[in-house]
Amino acid sequence: MIFFDSVHEMHSFLSESLDIKRHTLLRCINTQHPASLKAASPQHPNMENEISPEPRDLGRALCIITGASKGFGRTLAFQLSCLLKPRSVLMLVARSAEQLNQLKEDIITLYGGQNKLDIRCVQADLEKKEGVEKTVQAAKETSVSELDHILLINNAASLGDVSRFALTFTDPAEVNRYLSLNVSGALSLTAGVLQAFPHRLSLRRSVVNISSLCALKPFPSWVLYCTGKAARDMMFRVLAEEEPDVRVLSYAPGPLDTDMQLQARRFSGDLQLRRSFSSMFSEGQLLSCETSGAKLMKLLQDNDFQSGAHLDFYEL
Amino acid sequence: MMSSASGFGKALVIITGASKGFGRALALSIAPRLAAGSALILAARSDDLLQQLKADLSRAHPALTLRCAAADLSCQAGVESVIAAITHSDPDIEHLLLFNNAASLGDVSRFCGDFTDVDEVNSYLSLNVSSALCVTAGVLRAVPRRSGLTRVVVNISSLCALRPFPSWVLYCSGKAARDMMFRVLAEEEPELRVLNYAPGPLDTDMQRQARSSSADDALRSSFSVMHAQGQLLTCDQSISKLMQVLLEDKYTSGAHLDFYDL
Repeated sequence: MIFFDSVHEMHSFLSESLDIKRHTLLRCINTQHPASLKAASPQHPNMENEISPEPRDLGRALCIITGASKGFGRTLAFQLSCLLKPRSVLMLVARSAEQLNQLKEDIITLYGGQNKLDIRCVQADLEKKEGVEKTVQAAKETSVSELDHILLINNAASLGDVSRFALTFTDPAEVNRYLSLNVSGALSLTAGVLQAFPHRLSLRRSVVNISSLCALKPFPSWVLYCTGKAARDMMFRVLAEEEPDVRVLSYAPGPLDTDMQLQARRFSGDLQLRRSFSSMFSEGQLLSCETSGAKLMKLLQDNDFQSGAHLDFYEL
Repeated sequence: MMSSASGFGKALVIITGASKGFGRALALSIAPRLAAGSALILAARSDDLLQQLKADLSRAHPALTLRCAAADLSCQAGVESVIAAITHSDPDIEHLLLFNNAASLGDVSRFCGDFTDVDEVNSYLSLNVSSALCVTAGVLRAVPRRSGLTRVVVNISSLCALRPFPSWVLYCSGKAARDMMFRVLAEEEPELRVLNYAPGPLDTDMQRQARSSSADDALRSSFSVMHAQGQLLTCDQSISKLMQVLLEDKYTSGAHLDFYDL
């Protein structure tokens, strides 16, 4: 439980988050050496059990993360870096080339040359056909011969205009644009990647859908987000039915302390909802991306989830 | 004099996808349940089929106002023409009923991995998801809440909204999206009566497409068997249950009800 007495304190906390990441990564690297496990950290007691003591890595992978420039996607980039074998390709996709390059630098800084990851930044707007195609093309350019795992994290998403209610959505173009990024883009990207890396023995293929409680429960003033998440969950369930060899997971990360959450608590049209987001924030009930990401890492490492399942942070 | 138990009184009824199949049968079934002076708006792409339906209805129900809106709901102009058809309708009504029925199956001959073209997926979602939201929003804004008026919004749903079927990614995703959309609407507007109605496997053109084109062998077989063994429902069978549910008006707003649950 984290209490902030002031906005200043909150800002200090948030600016330390990169230090927390660094700490998490160092522990992660150190867990390659079992002897170092004994050292629990007094400064960050919550971090102790976050990374598995016996890391089962995710192989020599092509790992694609969409929406990688900030928030949850960015955290996943750091965490996955720990779990990919040397000479894996980490493909970071987002609209902002600048933020992606910064992320790449940060990962390299924290690792040095240790993990020999080939980090590629793909600047693409997944709301547009060209963005999806560019990303698929970038994936295709990866040499597959040495890879044993294709891991696609469909994380890119938008909240939509949560200040408005369903009856204000009279313009099909607006709804279409929303669905283009949040539903169609995810399907077509997944299809393109799976086509580029078809089934073969000794190639593990995993597809993650960053889902939400909103895929299951309706929230007033959130029609676009709930509709999009419900569509995605079903989409990936169909994929799981069709492709038994593809490991499909819809992971609902819980309420994360990100820009999207900020948007939620500032703009949600439903007063009650806005209040409950605000109190989650002020009472320190939001999850750090690291905490939630760590559970996703464990799911991927354990790899025993039922394909197509919807798993929520709070259930695990 | 129509008792409220068997009819909707003076009403404004809008049916999308009214030219054939379930939508057409719905128009024919609901017409006798509407009091004189009611208006029935029929929307679909095919003007010819709509005019034919209008002619059939007006012979049997001369006291009804019938309007056709030939429109492609996957585009803005189409949505607007449906809304335009309801303006200037008699405001002195006790029931507004909107049946979001227009839908397409999508290409069920292909699997998820084949949908690499974002434009194709967008086009599908535009008709099957966006237009349902925009038509609903437009209609409810054009006929606002007032005392003495019951406003009902029906989403023609499917088992596919709840369960995944191989080779049916577009249809399942679209139906799942719609169900959620209408659940949110129900949360936001407590006076609205919102129903997600799954009609069961109907003997229509859509069903024919399902049994002839579904790429998944097991699914295609089971559709064929249903057809061969007479297990398909007629539209009238399903509509009869839908009418009962609507007239009893006891369902929880936002609920998903299936023909086989009732």
